Amino acid sequence: MGIKVVKRHGISLKDKLYLPAIMGGMKTTFKHFSKNLKDTSNLISMSYPEVQPSDITDNYRGVHRLTKWDDGSEKCVACFMCATACPADCIFIEAEERFDEKAEKRPSAFSIDLLECVYCGYCVEACPCDAIRMDTGIFSFVASKRKDFLVDKNYLMNNERGKDFPND
Amino acid sequence: MSTASIIVIIVNILLAVILAVGLTPVFVWWERRVAGFVQDRLGPNRCHIGGFRLGGVIQSIADMLKLVFKEDFTPSYIKYKFLFSLAPGIVFICYFLTFGVIPFADNIILDGISHQMQAMPMNIGIMWFIAFAGLSVYGIILGGYSSQSKFGLLGSIRASAQVISYEASMGLALISMLLTYGSIHLNDMVAAQGGLLFGFLPAWGVFMQPLACIIFIVTVFAETNRAPFDLAEGESEIVAGYHTEYSAMRFGLFQVSEFAAMGGGAAIIVTIFFGGYQVPYLSTTDLKENISIILLVLMTVIPAMLILFTGWIKKNNVWPDENDIRFRETGILVKVFLGLAFVIFAFLAYFFFTGLSENGTSIAVAVLQVLTFLTKFFMMVLVFMWIRWTLLRIRYDQLQMLGWKVLLPLALLNIIITATVIVVGQ
Repeated sequence: MGIKVVKRHGISLKDKLYLPAIMGGMKTTFKHFSKNLKDTSNLISMSYPEVQPSDITDNYRGVHRLTKWDDGSEKCVACFMCATACPADCIFIEAEERFDEKAEKRPSAFSIDLLECVYCGYCVEACPCDAIRMDTGIFSFVASKRKDFLVDKNYLMNNERGKDFPND
Repeated sequence: MSTASIIVIIVNILLAVILAVGLTPVFVWWERRVAGFVQDRLGPNRCHIGGFRLGGVIQSIADMLKLVFKEDFTPSYIKYKFLFSLAPGIVFICYFLTFGVIPFADNIILDGISHQMQAMPMNIGIMWFIAFAGLSVYGIILGGYSSQSKFGLLGSIRASAQVISYEASMGLALISMLLTYGSIHLNDMVAAQGGLLFGFLPAWGVFMQPLACIIFIVTVFAETNRAPFDLAEGESEIVAGYHTEYSAMRFGLFQVSEFAAMGGGAAIIVTIFFGGYQVPYLSTTDLKENISIILLVLMTVIPAMLILFTGWIKKNNVWPDENDIRFRETGILVKVFLGLAFVIFAFLAYFFFTGLSENGTSIAVAVLQVLTFLTKFFMMVLVFMWIRWTLLRIRYDQLQMLGWKVLLPLALLNIIITATVIVVGQ
């Protein structure tokens, strides 16, 4: 095990002059500047509201949705598992009895406060019936009043799986 | 005083005011766009008036309006409110006045009377610049000191530490230039740069005195509080340094004076080291004798460049959404610039075919020289921004080390060499 002698940086005349290094840095920045000035289309920046991001994957946790049976009725059985698992306490469910043989219970009201939600996905994992999912791909939810962020069952059931995602 | 001289004076004052103050919004916008392009971003480009974005310059107008209409807040613990309000004014006035002595063109001769193309027609030249550039730091120190906040005080201490480290080398670098040109009057300096060096280089200060040029540029960067020497501001360590406690237009005045300082520094560098208004290889008399050939060249070059520029607009000034009002801008701008190209062509062609009188030739040469000066000035400003987005801010002990241990000996050495060459040369 010999000792490896590492030559100290910054003692050569070129390093001590600083100017070659500064010129090198300025060359790099100028390359970027002139390249982008000639053709702005290569820039990574997107004109956001007009151009939407295209790189959202199908395991991205967006706004929730309630899944449906083929006849359009909800899969949710109002078991309160998601509300129990929720660390932010943002899921509010009211249960009622169900008579169409699909299940014994259904939610009469199912609302999520999107301002409280931390988008952790625990509700999706907790659900025994695959009734709640976060695969809508909606990453921005805008409203003008706080009340509008409390989305109801109707909204959640009308959300569909994100358009760009492969179907499972 | 004749009408002609009054007009010349008004034109000069307008030029100085526009370069020092009027260009601030443009510089702010330009700085942000340059920063964006250097860092592979776009920079401000969304703000518009009736669909006209003009590349994003509208954003600066919005920012300016915001600053003007914001609440001008003075913290209650500030004892000397007068000094607090005075400080940005001092900084601003000092940097603004440095533009007074910059010659925008060679002395213009109208009806046999020679007029100086400076905002303040006087002969103290470079002394005026040194005086006011040096004075401006008092405004910064006063601003930080009267803020009665630790960040402000630290900022102003840094500013004063900075002054003592660069001013000496700056003065010494200038002395070697004074020895070279033999005059303190800036117009004489520029006139001296009209010839040729070794028969092929324009005799600019940068080719005659490269060392003094580097020292002076470094010290001007320190003088104007720009990166890499903006340690008085030091936003990563001391919030905003000397203007931490300022808001609204008092802060805006500091901002304006920062850009006025940058403009003043760029103008003085261009004047002393890059030939000022001198068109390379063409002196004032050459220009006057060959004015018709020059008109012919300009008549073809300027419209051609404008047409190329419309191509650039079509390629780069695009808006993704066709239904937006901003989508129309590109087409309108292309038409405007094509129209401008035609108007300039027609204008120059008219003068080319009718010929110019003696006064007309003088004015044409002056306009040409002002445009040359402006081109160099804007390129120097671009260098200021380019360096700001390339180099890191250095510590203030490093700046003192640089000022006293590196720049000062080099400047002294340069004076000795220059003086020796001049004495031996005689």
